[in-house]
Amino acid sequence: MKERAIPWVFLLILVSLIAFPFIVALLTGSSPLGVARGDRMIMRGESVRWQAVLIEIFLLGILAMSYNLIFGFTGVISFGHALFFGMGGYTIGLLLEFTDLDTTSALIFGLIGGLALAALLGLIIGLVSLRLQGVYFAIFTLAVAEMFFIFFGRLQLTRAEDGFAITDLPVWLDPTQSRLTFYYIVLAVFVLTFVFIRRLVNSPTGAVFKAIRENEDRASAIGYNPLTYKLIAITIGGVFAALAGILQVILNKKVGPELLSVTYTVDPLLMTIIGGIGTFTGPVIGASGLHLLDTALREQIVTIGSTTIRVADSWSLLLGLIFIAVVLIFPQGIVGTWMRWRARRVRLSSPPKGAENPVQADH
Amino acid sequence: MNASIILETHHLSKQFGGLVAVNDISLHFERGALHSIIGPNGAGKTTFFNLLTGKYRPTSGTVIYKGEDITRQPVFQRARRGIGRSFQITNIFPNLTVLENVRLSAQALSSINFRFFRTALSYDQYIRRAYEILELVGLNDSALLPANALPHGGKRKLELAILLAADPELLLLDEPTAGMASEQVPELIQTINALRQASQGAKTIIMVEHNMNVVMNISDRITVMHLGSVLAEGTPAEIAANKTVQSVYLGELYGDYGRGQSA
Ligand SMILES: Nc1ncnc2c1ncn2[C@@H]1O[C@H](COP(=O)(O)OP(=O)(O)OP(=O)(O)O)[C@@H](O)[C@H]1O
Ligand SMILES: [Mg+2]
Repeated sequence: MKERAIPWVFLLILVSLIAFPFIVALLTGSSPLGVARGDRMIMRGESVRWQAVLIEIFLLGILAMSYNLIFGFTGVISFGHALFFGMGGYTIGLLLEFTDLDTTSALIFGLIGGLALAALLGLIIGLVSLRLQGVYFAIFTLAVAEMFFIFFGRLQLTRAEDGFAITDLPVWLDPTQSRLTFYYIVLAVFVLTFVFIRRLVNSPTGAVFKAIRENEDRASAIGYNPLTYKLIAITIGGVFAALAGILQVILNKKVGPELLSVTYTVDPLLMTIIGGIGTFTGPVIGASGLHLLDTALREQIVTIGSTTIRVADSWSLLLGLIFIAVVLIFPQGIVGTWMRWRARRVRLSSPPKGAENPVQADH
Repeated sequence: MNASIILETHHLSKQFGGLVAVNDISLHFERGALHSIIGPNGAGKTTFFNLLTGKYRPTSGTVIYKGEDITRQPVFQRARRGIGRSFQITNIFPNLTVLENVRLSAQALSSINFRFFRTALSYDQYIRRAYEILELVGLNDSALLPANALPHGGKRKLELAILLAADPELLLLDEPTAGMASEQVPELIQTINALRQASQGAKTIIMVEHNMNVVMNISDRITVMHLGSVLAEGTPAEIAANKTVQSVYLGELYGDYGRGQSA
């Protein structure tokens, strides 16, 4: 938590992730680039398949980390996170498909515009509603996000519910052509997000985030304006969520109102809780766990006795059960529970001198 | 404008529904003095503090700090202008370390609050300041414990440490001895006296306290509150000799001492 240098574990993981496409390629005898068919590439083979899985995990990881900044570190419960994700996606999609801009400009303006729009939305929503307490703020954000969901579900310009496809990607960026490049781009953004949020949370500003999460009343009594810090957290969290949305649109080459649906609020929320609220690695572990389970189980068909269940049909139910199980076994999430357990062991083995009651911290 | 007055209230009132918790209080507080406010449970002392710090907006009346009307200023702004308070009911950051609780308070009025990119621990003047204060209140051995692992007496000390770390000019202490073991009380008095001496009259303390020994010994002035109103005001000797206070209140308070302590 307090280490200044980047722990070697993180470096090891980073190196493994960089090598990952090639390791899978070696192990399975496939090409990390896919299969060439004439002058086009076909994304076939284990390496590119697994790259897609990891790209999804990175995206969800970015989304979950951004949610955790707001929810886990600042203590603000927002149910409107999908709004940032979706508006990032719509911005770049609209610029690519509905303007005369050349592709490069559309990508650059889409990126900048998507992030700027998210920041603006974060500021406006925050200014309008952060004075509302707890659950009222949560409901307000949910309502705003749903409004946008319904609006884009009906907007004929963007083909309403069907959404529209992205046809205009350059080959180097197109995940159906150059998946390996896209893998590294998303990995880079993922690492950047992780490092940025970690530094922010450990900075003087981040210290105030945690103070507000712990005790807003006391934080203002010593001179911090909670509204200012919550605004900063929501705006920065919103920007990173938009970044995830932009990458998601490029990955799927599709823009539609589902990007604004409550799924993209609930998923990062669940991932954060499962991994560990207010921890750095928790949301990433939650995202990896849920997405890997999803990938492994969703296509399965389970036969128990005479009943056959397609897992995909009962995916939500299964997810709910997993969630309940994890929360019961790891009350502070996987990482949170592990950290508490380790802290307790350290304190047991060497009680600090002068502490009258060293162990009883209840977390 | 009288520069020796740091804070004054004019006809300050606060109503909760039909209950008048603070009723038309006009008081002034002298710079550098220790001014105690006493009164039975429910007299409105904490509510009066909440009006001074901005936690509540008064129903009517004004609060003047250093000659400026601060009645409408939010809590954090008053804190930034030098009004600090400790709480009757311990009010700390439970899952942060004892050190971080105090460091946050030391950082609060600095210019680093919006530095995003260096770790807070690299600004070590605030850590040093926090350790100084922890030493002063006798908590430095517990610095790295989570605050909620402290025993009750330790939490009371932390409450005071958070207040002191911000170095406020006006300190509002709400029952600093509440729930403290009696052998810890002299320690607290000593801390308060040392603080006043070191500040050479620059710090003003307004203290709500039930412990009459403490109040009579260290106060320059005492205000007695009863049912939201001021019953009497004067030096400790005047208050001790005041017949109304004696008959209406002091006897009752001494008799009622146990209840006041546990509040
Ligand atoms: N937020 C509130 N809402 C409604 N009533 C309140 C509120 N705060 C205080 N009161 C009432 O106002 C009156 C004064 O309370 P206050 O806490 O100011 O008393 P006090 O003098 O600090 O008492 P104690 O010695 O017990 O701390 C009490 O009757 C209390 O119930
Ligand atoms: Mg009180």
